[in-house]
Amino acid sequence: MMNKHARTRLLAYSTPLILSAILLALVVAVTLFGDKALARMAAETLIRVVLVVGLWIFAGNSGVISFGHAGYMAIGAYCSAWLTLKPQMKALFLPDLPAWLAGAEWPMLPAALASGGLAALVALLSGAAILRLTGIAASIASFAFLAIVNTVYSNWEGVTGATSSVVGLERYVDQWVALAWAVAAIVVANVYANSGSGLALRATREDEIAARASGIDMYRHRLLSLVISGFFTGVSGALLGHYIGVLNPDNFYLGITFISLAMLVVGGIGSLSGAVTGVLALSILIELLVRGEQGVGIGAATFALPGGTQEIAIGVVMILVLILRPSGLTGGREFRLARPAWPKPAPRNQIKTN
Amino acid sequence: MTSLAQLFFDAAALGGIYAMAALGIALIFGVMNLVNFAHGEYIAFCVFALIVPSTDAAAVMFLGKAPALLLIPLILTIGALVAMASEYVVFRHMRKASPVAMMISSFALGFIIQNALLAVYGGRPKAISLWPELNTPIDIAGASVPLLQLIVILTTLAVVTGLAALLRKTRIGLEMRAAAENFTMARLLGVRANVVITGAFALSGALAAAVALIMVTQTGVADVRMGGHIMLVAFIATVIGGLGSLPGAVAAGFLIGAASVLLQAFLPLDARPFRDAFLYTLVIVSLLVRPQGLFVPNSAKPRV
Amino acid sequence: MSKLGVFDLSVRYGKVPALNDVSLTVSEGERVFISGPNGAGKSSLLGAICGSVATSHGRIEMDGALLTGRTPESIARLGLSMVPEGRDIFGSLTVQENLCVGTGLRRDLDAVQSDIEEIYEAFPILGDRRHASAGALSGGQQQMLAIGRALMTNPKLMMVDEPSLGLAPKVVDQVYDTLIGLQEERGLTLLIVEQSSLRAARVGGRMILMRGGAVVGGGDAADFADREALTEAYFGKPETEAAQ
Repeated sequence: MMNKHARTRLLAYSTPLILSAILLALVVAVTLFGDKALARMAAETLIRVVLVVGLWIFAGNSGVISFGHAGYMAIGAYCSAWLTLKPQMKALFLPDLPAWLAGAEWPMLPAALASGGLAALVALLSGAAILRLTGIAASIASFAFLAIVNTVYSNWEGVTGATSSVVGLERYVDQWVALAWAVAAIVVANVYANSGSGLALRATREDEIAARASGIDMYRHRLLSLVISGFFTGVSGALLGHYIGVLNPDNFYLGITFISLAMLVVGGIGSLSGAVTGVLALSILIELLVRGEQGVGIGAATFALPGGTQEIAIGVVMILVLILRPSGLTGGREFRLARPAWPKPAPRNQIKTN
Repeated sequence: MTSLAQLFFDAAALGGIYAMAALGIALIFGVMNLVNFAHGEYIAFCVFALIVPSTDAAAVMFLGKAPALLLIPLILTIGALVAMASEYVVFRHMRKASPVAMMISSFALGFIIQNALLAVYGGRPKAISLWPELNTPIDIAGASVPLLQLIVILTTLAVVTGLAALLRKTRIGLEMRAAAENFTMARLLGVRANVVITGAFALSGALAAAVALIMVTQTGVADVRMGGHIMLVAFIATVIGGLGSLPGAVAAGFLIGAASVLLQAFLPLDARPFRDAFLYTLVIVSLLVRPQGLFVPNSAKPRV
Repeated sequence: MSKLGVFDLSVRYGKVPALNDVSLTVSEGERVFISGPNGAGKSSLLGAICGSVATSHGRIEMDGALLTGRTPESIARLGLSMVPEGRDIFGSLTVQENLCVGTGLRRDLDAVQSDIEEIYEAFPILGDRRHASAGALSGGQQQMLAIGRALMTNPKLMMVDEPSLGLAPKVVDQVYDTLIGLQEERGLTLLIVEQSSLRAARVGGRMILMRGGAVVGGGDAADFADREALTEAYFGKPETEAAQ
């Protein structure tokens, strides 16, 4: 019995290996055979992997949809800008920064870590309040949180540049940097999901009341997952900033919220493999639509693509998946070396509620 | 000069708009547990129905040219039709889905409508002048109140009492209230799910249209994004009011309107751009104090 | 003639079976009790008949019309009414409004008012509190309201799930007296889930015993008043109970 249990656990750890191998193969293929535009598309896709896996760590395990993650992203992105921009530029564009920040010239990696750390701290504080609520009320409160972040960052002239963009971020993020972070996010997500806290949290996802009755402190586990989730979401914001080179509060509002939720839902919110699958599937779809629309192979510069066809198409795909395959492309299953012989739990989204 | 009376009229008018939007959200939530993220786009859709489809910067009136007596029922009907169509195309196929799945697909639907509007009308806000004479101020109790504010307040009262009468006195109203409390039981008594749900969407869409007409007259702008903020406030109002409670949604709408006006009036000048951040923080705090909502008795069990 | 026919009916929740190939028929005007331990599948059976629980296999007919695959509201419109376990009163509606919810399917609207008065005659306490909020009623009063509400749809077949649950014996007597009186008066067919076989024996009718999602026995309810017959039906063969 113990043996079998240990084996299933081991198999669970094969998921990040498989996912990382897929992403690595993608990057190698793009680097060897693709052009520059394709390499940039790969980097953008991998940043989305960091974001969506980050979101999954909370939403996938807890079953609570968060509309607030674009806020953590904004916090990470601006934090990295504060730490890495040249002091002359900061004096010019962000005059109200405190002296120690105004003079800071951090290397990129510590800045990214600090960005994730700040986002995690904000996740802890905001989550301490929001996660007192449950279900849909918590989702709407997270939406209110996003609106708070957006209002503050859109108006804090001397610190965030408000609605005029912050420019001049060093564009150091290529497909390899993004790959490293994507793999890190996947590994941490998997370790968390299979930890005691992650398993407990997923029990609350299946049946909140029963899990509570069996003594699971849902609040604490949700908060922990939100903090880890906030860290990677913050990092993804920093990466996006250093990928585009320009920051604007509206880059981190409803558009990115929509895309990241779409990816999570299309891939299947029930599993880590679903999160990654969703990013890959929709990124390919977006790329095809962009190329189809422009007629030339230039990678999109931002997540918020011009026009509207892409969003409409993605929205349609999202609704079709929700209607026809509510547990997503992966059906809530993980990619594993071999499937253990336990019965598949009923997909959560198919439980009748009315 | 902001006199007390002025503040009162500002708060009542803003609260009235919020209350109507919140009613639109709460009606649908009550009947089918759907948090409808497309509601803001119903509002935007109705606004743009007023003008000729084009991406030009200047807006040319289309339906907006019609006389008010014709225009108002026309736009209300358009709002109802858009909402009913979205139910027919999307939500009807999700009757057995979880509330979370429905919420996400309404989010997707909202994005589809918004981007369709963007594609047809372009992204720049356009100036529209609908019933400009309503913005002429009149003097009441020492306050200079635009006629429109009075009309908004009266309209809200009329809509709320009308809706209450509809829910209390009519067959469909009775069925909606029964379905809102226990849909399965209502169906076991022969209440047709499709009729009740379609009715709720039609009312909700008409409310969105009413909000659209008021907003466009007040601001004089048609903007694809104009529904987003009011929808967020409406969500918050429905949560604070107790999810699914219609009187709660109305009361919370007025409360948020009042809080917003008071913050605007009394926050230090430097902090005013951050008004909405303060407002939403207040909201989260109030939810912490009373997670089940401000306007439901403590004994009531939470709906979600 | 057979009023209700259930043929090889199976119901499962996910992978957990709740009913396995259940067949039974109920004749016009008959009074049938369904009894059995928790998890026997009694409520699943009623749910499947009235359309609120999805069936995985089998067929249900009423008056020759196929019920399987229909929505609950269209089944109600065929003349089947349900008093669910736990009663499911609309607590925010008044007593009278509760009674009116189910009248939307009726054509004889002029008879509705007299039917309401008839319900108030049968349950005077409901008449006294007609404009009170139904949520404020006691358990017994809510049971009466649930029965009255089901009757207001003018059903031909009425199903009642555990009418005595949580009620004082005296109130149960009253509930059953009314049910039987109404049945005799209107020619109703009654299908009642009743845990207490003693009660069923006293009221009289036909008994169907269920266990583990299957029909395991039946006969005249009076024959099941003694413990032995029941014990055998309940615990007959050592077999794992199917969880509901």
